[in-house]
Amino acid sequence: MRMLNQDEEADVEVTWEDQQKINSFSKLNAKYSDFELNYESKKQEKEYLDDLTEELELADEDDRIKYKIGEAFISISVEQAQQRIEKDKEILIQELEQIQNEMNSINEQMSQLKVHLYGKFGKAINLEKE
Amino acid sequence: MSETRQATDKPNSSAEAVLETNPRGIPKVQFVENVEEFISKSSAPVEVTLGKFQETVAKYKFMEINFLNRKKGLELKIPEISKTLTVVEYLVSKQDSDEPIETTFELNDTLWANATIKSTKTVNLWLGANVMLEYTLQEAKELLENKLDTNQNALKNVLEDLEFLREQVTTMEVNIARVYNWDVKRRRTLKTTSTV
Repeated sequence: MRMLNQDEEADVEVTWEDQQKINSFSKLNAKYSDFELNYESKKQEKEYLDDLTEELELADEDDRIKYKIGEAFISISVEQAQQRIEKDKEILIQELEQIQNEMNSINEQMSQLKVHLYGKFGKAINLEKE
Repeated sequence: MSETRQATDKPNSSAEAVLETNPRGIPKVQFVENVEEFISKSSAPVEVTLGKFQETVAKYKFMEINFLNRKKGLELKIPEISKTLTVVEYLVSKQDSDEPIETTFELNDTLWANATIKSTKTVNLWLGANVMLEYTLQEAKELLENKLDTNQNALKNVLEDLEFLREQVTTMEVNIARVYNWDVKRRRTLKTTSTV
């Protein structure tokens, strides 16, 4: 991402206020990418848990399941496994929601900054993702 | 800190004696409000100022690399602690039952063994530096929760610092671009006036 402003043609004075806006934009942009990665990996994990729930539907109720807790597999009943999965899933859903909210708010802030910065600097500034 | 030199040495009237820093003592760069004024106050030629600016950017980038490494370290450590914590929590939930815990654990890569564990009230925690200590489950849980908290806080700080560093680099890059462009324009005017 290039943030250099080319004063040469557009010849607009950059004020401290503008600079802070540029900084915020760059900060939000980086934050957004981080959230994106985080969101994807959490979503993936949730999908795994969904698959697992489906698989366990088919399991015999009296079966014991080797469930990974930490680094070791521990033999637990199907019911216990289902409880653990549900609990983990709930946490993930909450986290996903939170990340989604943050991403939305960042997006909003970024569009506001974009309006201001493009309005002032025009083509002299580039705020698009490469 | 050597990084502070740039900001304090700048011969600018608005430069304050007290250096602004973030909560962890990383100095803030100075924004060039008016290029012309800034350059004329400095006795050094434009090239020197630009060189100094670039040096500052390099210093911040160096710090950024350090912080990124720290971030990586913490991002490895935190899941490890929380994994251990889940096991301890599981043991806590089992501590009053007589039913033994059946596990399959890793002896080595691709080699797993079965073990039956009688319900336990204590665990040994690996503290690092070849030290292992026995804790009661409750103590182990508290210790791990504490550690998790500390590390999560540290990660939060590192992320904040990284943001701050990025801001400083952006400010400095804009400074460089503006001083450079100002210089190009000045040279052009000089040229046209001298040829006339």
